[in-house]
Amino acid sequence: MTAATRKYGSIFTAQLANGLTYPLDLLGRALSIVVFLWVFLHLWRSVYATDGSQAIAGLTLADTLWYLMLAETIVLSKPRISADIARSVRDGSVAYQLARPYNFVLYHFSVGLADAIVRAAMTALVGGALVWALVGPPPPASGWPLAAIAVLLGWLLDFSMSALIGLSAFVTEDTSAFDWIYSKAVLVLGGVLLPLDFLPEGLGSVARALPFAYTVWAPARVFVSPDPARFLALAGAQLAWLAVLALLLAAAWRWAIRRVAINGG
Amino acid sequence: MAGARRAHDTARGGLLAEARFLASLWRAGLQTAMAFRVAFVTQIVGMALNNAMYLAFWVVLFQRFPTIGTWGLRDVMLLFGVVAAAFGIAVVLFGNILVLSDVITGGALDAWLTLPRPVLPSVLASRMTVSGIGDVATGLVCFVLAGQRSPEAALRFVVAVVASATIFLAFMVIVQSLAFWIGSAVLLRQTAFNAVLTFATYPLTLFDGTAKFFLLTIVPAGVMGTVSTDFVRRFTWPGLGQLLVAAVVLCAIAAALFRAGLRRYASGSIVLAAD
Amino acid sequence: MSSNRLADSGARDAIIDVRGLAKTFQVVRKRAGVSGSLRAVLRPERTTVDAVRDLSFAMADGELLGFIGPNGAGKSTTIKMLTGILHPTAGEATVLGLVPWRERRQLAYHIGTVFGQRPQLWFHLPAIDTLRLFGRIYEMDDALVRRRIGLLAEAFEIGHLLETPVSKLSLGQRMRCEIAASLLHAPRLILLDEPSIGLDVVAKQRIRDTIRDMNAREDVAVLLTSHDAGDIEALCKRVIIVNHGRIIYQDRVSALKRTHLTCKVVGVLFAERLAEPFAMPGVDVLKAGRDGYGLKLAFDSRTTPVERVLAQLVAAGTVVDITITDPSLEEVIRAIYEAAEPDGAPGEAAASTGLGALDAGP
Repeated sequence: MTAATRKYGSIFTAQLANGLTYPLDLLGRALSIVVFLWVFLHLWRSVYATDGSQAIAGLTLADTLWYLMLAETIVLSKPRISADIARSVRDGSVAYQLARPYNFVLYHFSVGLADAIVRAAMTALVGGALVWALVGPPPPASGWPLAAIAVLLGWLLDFSMSALIGLSAFVTEDTSAFDWIYSKAVLVLGGVLLPLDFLPEGLGSVARALPFAYTVWAPARVFVSPDPARFLALAGAQLAWLAVLALLLAAAWRWAIRRVAINGG
Repeated sequence: MAGARRAHDTARGGLLAEARFLASLWRAGLQTAMAFRVAFVTQIVGMALNNAMYLAFWVVLFQRFPTIGTWGLRDVMLLFGVVAAAFGIAVVLFGNILVLSDVITGGALDAWLTLPRPVLPSVLASRMTVSGIGDVATGLVCFVLAGQRSPEAALRFVVAVVASATIFLAFMVIVQSLAFWIGSAVLLRQTAFNAVLTFATYPLTLFDGTAKFFLLTIVPAGVMGTVSTDFVRRFTWPGLGQLLVAAVVLCAIAAALFRAGLRRYASGSIVLAAD
Repeated sequence: MSSNRLADSGARDAIIDVRGLAKTFQVVRKRAGVSGSLRAVLRPERTTVDAVRDLSFAMADGELLGFIGPNGAGKSTTIKMLTGILHPTAGEATVLGLVPWRERRQLAYHIGTVFGQRPQLWFHLPAIDTLRLFGRIYEMDDALVRRRIGLLAEAFEIGHLLETPVSKLSLGQRMRCEIAASLLHAPRLILLDEPSIGLDVVAKQRIRDTIRDMNAREDVAVLLTSHDAGDIEALCKRVIIVNHGRIIYQDRVSALKRTHLTCKVVGVLFAERLAEPFAMPGVDVLKAGRDGYGLKLAFDSRTTPVERVLAQLVAAGTVVDITITDPSLEEVIRAIYEAAEPDGAPGEAAASTGLGALDAGP
């Protein structure tokens, strides 16, 4: 077990260092979040003003902005797991990767996690500074560790779904259609543009029953209201979905290896 | 042979010749795009669906909050439609606007400089972005759904879309022409692109003071979006004036800047990347 | 350099006249990353590159002129100045009576370009569609375009290729269509860059025939730049060699080969073994077959006349087979590059290999 952690740990740290050598890329993402958050502030300020209430579904204007900050950070820092896996399948290099002493999928997870952390750090720093200047201080720091755990679980969940799409490259020519559908599903049902708590009853419960909500909405919600009960409920749901997807992913992977072994990659 | 040689000595430039040239560029672009049937349809439908998702966000929002400021669902829908149609027309007819700075820094302007045609329109029109057709379709649907039913409104819609498309194109030309001086302008282009389109699809009334001024000048998203949409809703001379002035001024700046950039290009001193 | 005027090219007018053309670049080295970009704007590191220095030459109407040099020699910079893409730092030039960098668009109506590595035909469309587009580019009216297409299709035998998408044509067929397309507007000058790149021997030959045809039929001048010395050898009467931004050689191809490397390589096969090993003053025996049947010799035809060597060989035994090869243009050019000094001025060595002999006239 420790040998494995050391293995993936070193892949992870290598990619961390790598991620820092592209400052322009990081800057680009940071600028994107500035644009989005600035517009969102004006939009939600107007919404709250028109509605006349201090809080909507339990969230104040400040809460909503901090929610959107983390939600956008998560979305803007996503690594391209499915694209990398699909490319590797399509150009046949997956066969070579199988000869390596580590698991192909976990390798991409480690690399992806490093990328996500570097980008998220930069984006959250810039986005957070902006939101702080606009609406005031963030939720209390005591809750941040809980939020961090939720973010991590959310990432793993997202990677699993993304990896499944990537592996579908074994059967389909072009995975970009599935990629697109997945990203739209996260956008609409994952709580990227507004907290799921704002959705009407029917749509809200549908969204909360699907895994997409637990990649973005769950961590952002925990960040804004880090009470232990909520955390346990949401993290619990994340773990449940993670278990389901891990099983699916493992099965898909076994099937994929067998396919490579038979067809030669 | 002499006849052939002299035949076109009399024809020199002129708007008609340029229009015919652009028309043939667009025809070639469309034919090329349609050579791949499936991709052609997928891109259009995909983009339309993409837009539908963002509209869904507004629909949901307005279910919960009937108005935001003075804007209702129909108003926002019309706004989205104008911007989508304008963007769509711009990238269909002048698709290279999305990568102009790359064309500049990649030295691809040389091919156009050996031809007897004005460089900027030729470069921009030599590529067609098929997904833009989906955006135009979205725009039309939004226009209909927003409830403007009269032929006068339709005419105003056309004027507004053309003005907004021109403003968008001119803005992006201005930003990307900086590549003549600073080299690779990918980050600048992406940020400007994101900014102008994001801001344009939100009502200008959300912003005040300096923010509003910013969105009417430096990043003319306010003109491209709200001012244009207001004109569709109701004809006013000031409204029309604002659109025309913005379009003309921005085009003038864009043309002048690009021309200055070409002069610098011709002196050979554009920035190269280190090996 | 007595051949840089057109005295011996006949009474045709010069369509390209270049005098003292020079181009110096201020290159800003930009390092990677944000700091690199900032530095490039605030405190740029500039180095000066003399791409072209003091270039002078002329080209006659209807001529097929070769223009060669190694990478970085200033070839493409010169071409860019002649087409008006770049403004020179010094010197003058007129192309078809127009100053390229001042009257670029005017000039563009009368010149055509074919770049082997940058095709102009739209890839997914039949060539005829691009031809019609070209018609619009050069403001030709539709009837004229149709006539020209018919003419060119027949002349270059591409009629059956025009309606097929370019992506389905072979590279050779594509090049023929490219060349035909560049002639649609009946230009007076064509700039051809690497027309036979990537083609097999047969296709190369076909392309060379096409170019020769075009030059004759259309009476269009061709400025040919190529790395393939075979193209130059096959097509051009005159060649200009540039290196380090300067012209290091300018003369007819035949003169080039005749005065430059006068080395001949002879391969001989005898009917029977030679009585004694072949030896002759002024002749190097490169290889003698162990069995005595074959021989490979080299000699300088200026010091040792070919006739004398042949006489000696025939006297040595019964010659069954003989091959005499000239140095390839490749070898000739390489010799010239090596003879020229590093800053590009022809050196002493060049004079001794015959460069100086030019002054005495061909």
